[in-house]
Amino acid sequence: MKRIGAVIVSHGQVANELLAAAEAVVGEVSHLTAVSIGWHDDVELAQNEIRRAIDAVSAGNGVLLLTDMFGGTPTNIAAMFLKENEVEIVTGVNLPMVIKVASNNKTMTLHELAEEVVGQGKEAICRAGMLLAPQRVGKDA
Amino acid sequence: MLEMPLPIVNTLGLHARAAAQLVRLAATFQCSLTLVREDTGLRANAKSILSVLHLAASSGTRIRLVADGEDEAEAVAAIIDLFSRGFGEL
Repeated sequence: MKRIGAVIVSHGQVANELLAAAEAVVGEVSHLTAVSIGWHDDVELAQNEIRRAIDAVSAGNGVLLLTDMFGGTPTNIAAMFLKENEVEIVTGVNLPMVIKVASNNKTMTLHELAEEVVGQGKEAICRAGMLLAPQRVGKDA
Repeated sequence: MLEMPLPIVNTLGLHARAAAQLVRLAATFQCSLTLVREDTGLRANAKSILSVLHLAASSGTRIRLVADGEDEAEAVAAIIDLFSRGFGEL
């Protein structure tokens, strides 16, 4: 099965560390890589790094760029690579989103994966106390 | 269909790496595998790591495994073994 590649792009070392954390959970993944853009890197340098990363993970089924923050430089530079059915961007990357991409083994289009990752990312944000509350009630009862 | 309680005996409970081990094992079986939290009734697909993590099952949480399919007996035996060994953390 041809996998959809993914590149995490962020300010500072966030991208590298998110990838490292995901790999600690699901094991090494070859279709995912990270580009950490230094605070003082110039745009051309960062652009080249992202291009190299896209080429490295691309298997012909498209590449998803997971960026840290909409409107930030990493997203803006990543946006230069946007291409229908070839490169999509999802912003606001968090660890569950990376794990989702890393462990995805269903056959789907780039668009479908992007939608799933958006849903997963949102679902993973919750007030933990609300989820854990029934357990405490159960123990008291 | 088979249903069995699962012992969570390791200190950290069903944390990320333990869940990953479970998911890798579960994926080797054809049958459907569902984890159910006894206290809240929350259900999780044992073949999806993010689903398993949402159970937030810590040490001592009572959960049971529901297996349905041709190789359910082998799957239940293998998963009980993994849980009993505390995911290799004991």
